[in-house]
Amino acid sequence: MSQETMPLVEDTVTKHDEPAWMTDKRRVAMDQMPTLKMPRVQRFDYRDWQMMPSTEIHWQSSSASLAQSDLDATTAKADDQQISIVQVGQTTTQVKLPAQLAKQGVLVMDLFDAMREYPELVKQHLMTNVVKTNETKLTSYHMAMLTSGLFIYVPRGVVVNQPIEAHIIQDSTKSDHPLISHVLIVAEAGSEFAFTQHLSTVGEAANIANCFVEIDAAEDSRVRFSSLDAFGPKTVTYFERRGLAANHANIDWAVGLLNDGNTIGNIDTNLLGEGAETDSKMIAITDGTARMGINNGVTNRGKHSVGNILQRGVLLGRSQLVFNGIGDIIHGASGAKAEQENRLLMMSNEARGNANPILLIDENDVLAGHAASVGQVDQQQLYYLMSRGIDRQQAQRLVIRGFLGVVLSAIPAKTVRQELITTIERKLTDEN
Amino acid sequence: MSTLEVKDLHIEVQDGESGAVKEILKGVNLSMSTGEIHAIMGPNGTGKSTLSETIMGQSAYHVTQGDILLDGNSILDMPVDERARRGLFLAMQYPAEIPGVTNAEFLRAAINARRPKDDQISVMSFLKELDKNLDLLDMNEAMTERYLNEGFSGGEKKRNEILQLLMIKPAFALLDEIDSGLDIDALQVVAKGVNSMRGDNFGALIITHYQRLLNYIKPDVVHVMMGGRIVKTGGADLALKLEDEGYAGLRDEFGLDVDLVDEN
Repeated sequence: MSQETMPLVEDTVTKHDEPAWMTDKRRVAMDQMPTLKMPRVQRFDYRDWQMMPSTEIHWQSSSASLAQSDLDATTAKADDQQISIVQVGQTTTQVKLPAQLAKQGVLVMDLFDAMREYPELVKQHLMTNVVKTNETKLTSYHMAMLTSGLFIYVPRGVVVNQPIEAHIIQDSTKSDHPLISHVLIVAEAGSEFAFTQHLSTVGEAANIANCFVEIDAAEDSRVRFSSLDAFGPKTVTYFERRGLAANHANIDWAVGLLNDGNTIGNIDTNLLGEGAETDSKMIAITDGTARMGINNGVTNRGKHSVGNILQRGVLLGRSQLVFNGIGDIIHGASGAKAEQENRLLMMSNEARGNANPILLIDENDVLAGHAASVGQVDQQQLYYLMSRGIDRQQAQRLVIRGFLGVVLSAIPAKTVRQELITTIERKLTDEN
Repeated sequence: MSTLEVKDLHIEVQDGESGAVKEILKGVNLSMSTGEIHAIMGPNGTGKSTLSETIMGQSAYHVTQGDILLDGNSILDMPVDERARRGLFLAMQYPAEIPGVTNAEFLRAAINARRPKDDQISVMSFLKELDKNLDLLDMNEAMTERYLNEGFSGGEKKRNEILQLLMIKPAFALLDEIDSGLDIDALQVVAKGVNSMRGDNFGALIITHYQRLLNYIKPDVVHVMMGGRIVKTGGADLALKLEDEGYAGLRDEFGLDVDLVDEN
């Protein structure tokens, strides 16, 4: 594939009526691509994956009806306070935002609409501070090929009590439908809100998903991000989820990685400000022959910044799962704290797993710690449960639930937690 | 009426590190019916716990000879969970801790495992039964929402084993050193729980070092185990005699060739 000489099809971009600065950004990103390297996931080799299949931008529209099964649960409990946005492929099919919040200046909308309606805001934040296009070949590819996304903006001092819920549904009813999606979240000073995304696939075609989340959290803001990733078996996923926290800002991540297909991803929070904090919790389950390699990192730059990483993974079948916990404390971040715990539970002799804590500390006055383990189901626990008449399958499910419990119970949104438990139970049942 | 029979049972275990194989039970015979409380007494390292774990089906113990029969049918080929559903219960010396699973959720799962899929216990009947038994055992309701045995004190774990016994209502309970580490008040509570189960449909095999527990749970039959065999069977008075004379006295009386050095 000649991605080095990939032509940007001006024609299609113009037809989509995007601002000239956006097209310029694409062009710059395109020019950067040849010199950049693929992102690195330690101890995980994905060289043979096709991550950049498309050489030109295809604008496509998808039918709202494809979202139906995904949304039945959501609309059933709909009330006039609900905040939600639904995207199928590149098409935004539903937006709900209470008038009260709209009046306060809260924005929940399609990213490309936002480029036209709020160009200054989007231009200021889209791949400028948090993620840069010239980091890797895939970040530049993302910018060059971007075809869908959300823009979430909460103005200074606004506290949103209901979670902002997004459903992003990959349309794989046809092949050659890559999902290249960007969720841009801007939290102005002192704002507070929760954002929850549900990722899924409709259709059986093989496609890639290249999904970014950028969270730019200004001072004293608080963003709680949750994600339930459940792309289909034929989707090859690459995700970037990145946060930038200013003074005393707080970004929490709660991620359930339940994709059926191959996945690489990077979660990272840059604690730039003094007293900035992040709590990064993740659960991953791999099954079949799926391979998953994840970096979960925190960079402490600010004095007295605090980063916690807590990860749990369960491996079934012949799957592979690699967790890299990366704690990076920059010189000058005195009084910083960085803790991480990465644990994997092997449910199969044919699965392969790694839990790697990576600590890079360039400051003396810090508190840092890590724990990692790769283990099998505790036979004593199984025996105990079975001695009460509970069969092996259910006993295993209970032990796994217990293993994941420390992360599950920390997920703030009850609906996400329940959805996660249901999806986990389904995966475990399918396996048996 | 149910019966539990152990016939000429020989058990080997393999040491995890050295790989050496060691015979622990060397021909145990025992027969009991529901309606009876049996006690097995014996010095440390003589195979009492091995016997109870083997009856329950712990896979580390290998039966090389003999049989275990429940209502006349061999259970040796049955997995642990099936033995439990057929009516066996082992109150363990060291119950496992299961984080993330609440006590109440676990108890319901255990009760429902014995019932058909279309006749699971209702929340109301479950809670009613649970409250009754918590009261009996002088346990705080908060215990049921805690994760199974996680962070429980020794005494709380023992009470929790008895709570499970009362909720599950097995035909036969094997109580493995249920008295160890208990103060006298807790011991009385545990005994009260076991005594409340007494009746035509319940039998218990109580394993203990000390006679003290048997003051509170009166056995119908007492067995003395030494060197991997039951060497003497008698009534409740046998336990009192042991308390007076010690295991060494009994050994000498019967001229047994048994080493009484604590093997644990």
